[in-house]
Amino acid sequence: MENTPILRVENVSKSYNGKAVLKSVSLELNAGQHKVLIGPSGGGKSTLLHCMNYLVTPDSGRIQLDGREVNAHSRKELYAFRQQVGMIFQEFNLFDHLTALDNVAIALRKVKGQSRKEAETRAMAELERVGLADRARHYPAELSGGQKQRVSIARALAMDPKVMLLDEPTSALDPELTGEVVSVIRALARSGMTMAMATHQMEFARALADEILFMQGGEIIERGSPAELLAPGAATRTADFCRRLAEMGGD
Amino acid sequence: MFKKISVVAAVVAACGLMAGPAAAQKVVNGIDANFPPFAYVDKSGKPGGFDVDSVDWIAKKMGFEVSHQPVDWDGIIPSLLAKKIDLICSGMSITEERAKQVSFTDAYWEVKNVFVTKKDSTVTADQLLKGDKKIGVQQGTPEGDWLKDNKEKNGWNFTLRYYDSSPMAVEDVLNGRIDAAGMNDAPAKDAASKKPVKIAGIFGKVDTFGCAVRKEDTALLKKLNDGYKALMADQQWKDLIETHKP
Amino acid sequence: MQHTLDVLIEAVPFLVGGVGTTLLIVIGGMLLGLVLGVPLAVGQVYGNAVTRRAAGLYVWFFRGIPILVLLFLFYYGLFHLIGLNLGAVAAAILVLGMTSAAYQSQIFRGSILSLSQGQFRAASALGMSNAQAIATIILPQALRLSLPGWSNEYSIMLKDSALVFVLGATEIMARTHFVASREYQHMPLYITAALLYFLLTWAGVRSLRTFERKVAIRGYGRT
Repeated sequence: MENTPILRVENVSKSYNGKAVLKSVSLELNAGQHKVLIGPSGGGKSTLLHCMNYLVTPDSGRIQLDGREVNAHSRKELYAFRQQVGMIFQEFNLFDHLTALDNVAIALRKVKGQSRKEAETRAMAELERVGLADRARHYPAELSGGQKQRVSIARALAMDPKVMLLDEPTSALDPELTGEVVSVIRALARSGMTMAMATHQMEFARALADEILFMQGGEIIERGSPAELLAPGAATRTADFCRRLAEMGGD
Repeated sequence: MFKKISVVAAVVAACGLMAGPAAAQKVVNGIDANFPPFAYVDKSGKPGGFDVDSVDWIAKKMGFEVSHQPVDWDGIIPSLLAKKIDLICSGMSITEERAKQVSFTDAYWEVKNVFVTKKDSTVTADQLLKGDKKIGVQQGTPEGDWLKDNKEKNGWNFTLRYYDSSPMAVEDVLNGRIDAAGMNDAPAKDAASKKPVKIAGIFGKVDTFGCAVRKEDTALLKKLNDGYKALMADQQWKDLIETHKP
Repeated sequence: MQHTLDVLIEAVPFLVGGVGTTLLIVIGGMLLGLVLGVPLAVGQVYGNAVTRRAAGLYVWFFRGIPILVLLFLFYYGLFHLIGLNLGAVAAAILVLGMTSAAYQSQIFRGSILSLSQGQFRAASALGMSNAQAIATIILPQALRLSLPGWSNEYSIMLKDSALVFVLGATEIMARTHFVASREYQHMPLYITAALLYFLLTWAGVRSLRTFERKVAIRGYGRT
């Protein structure tokens, strides 16, 4: 069982205007695994996550979900694939014209074809899970950044994804507000959700990751457990990067 | 909410499309409603005038139904050809150019063209044509064409201004923007009866009015010709002239 | 003076009758413009090269030709040629509606482009098709944002409607002209017409603003 990865990325490459952003990247996500992507901005983390959801179509390479390759030319397959892969964006991307509840319920109704009542019951349960049941009737403009990101997590979870991809979920937040989002993600990890996350928060990465992938220049140049890569005095690029982040007052 | 709007939009659009003229076998007379006393729409919205009454009488006599539809003068012949209307009986002068596109009935009216000036003006037709004056005229009329042609031919140096209708030209006479309005004598008398203007003289050639129909509508043309003969032989003709005399 | 007043009092019901025709043309045209303008805007923003080009061509055509010329071209030309036998009002709605669609599509296009692309991506990430994302996420917001532009388009359309007498539709302006020709009371009648247009503009803009408030989203646009 454990040797069939849920999501498998094989030699994925992507370039924009002749500039390679991803250079033949491969990785596997097994059930319940949590992988964290770190590295400098522009290193390809975000593009990789977007490719893993086919929001960005790779120029070459293969992506398999549950051992099945996705046919990127079939829209129907693409839409079905994306449903099973949850995505959390740095900028939350909530639907501004819908309440928190409708933000979560809309895809259940439109994509899964649930009735309004069914969808709202489920949406309410997901909002409760992220601690926002009392904000269900609020519009995005009436929510704090942390609350918005928690709604977006509830929105993704409602679709019952097999994998969650999180693209710097706390980077756009006021540092005061990252805590609530971090604890929701931690709880999600404890519940056994398979995840890949890009982040700059090293403490968070260390606590969450089964494996850290250090990306730079469109390649994964180091990979290993936090213990290996971040051991005191370890001469790794990852440790080096962390030290510099710490010096800059990041984290 | 917006879905509802789209539905309403579609329904309204569909209704609009179907709201074309009913296909009743009614003959529609296109009129220039800005050409009293031959054709006008009165302040309650009812079409009236010498031509309107004549056609009504003829229709009754010849056994067909007619209605009167105001049409923009610029579009009146295209409207006839596009079958939006079936005839034009609205003080239309018979001209060679028009006769290429439509068939005319026999002439039923003779018109002289006259200049309308302010009541206190002393200018004569001759001075208007040969002096450095400004003359207004309704566009698309034979009197307009005559003025333009003869200005070039004779080297006259008046300035010609075109208007949508002759009453608009009369308004500009009163405003002092032009010295005279060139128009048919009947509407000129109509204007003189309502405004401080007078007829200052005759110009151009005598025009004749006829009704226009599509070339292929020979049956209607015959009905109209027969109808006019009957009308002119009737006392009603004199009564109509009397009623509509400005 | 007394005579002028008498004429006006008698003529007002006839002129006000034209308000109905004018409103039918304007509202019909606006709605047709909405129905055609939305797909045009969507085609321009999200379409492939062919639809973008086609929508662009449409907009270029209807924006580039004066409304009076379009009325003539369609009513006496195209409609007649294809055997579409329309009444003057229906034809006016069709031509003004198609023209308005070109302008409205530019309003909608601007609104769509002003929305963050992130919401579209988020909808895709949830498994929505492009059509679903446009219909449920993008358009409800874009149309709300378009309402101020829409009320501007309404007042322009109202004024354009004064031209449709070339087709024989007897709206406010045509009726004013008729009575003026008959009665030689041009100024008082045109002032009355101006008042009617002013009232219609005011009432229309006002109701659109009320509608805008009604569909407003709490806190939206308050960034």
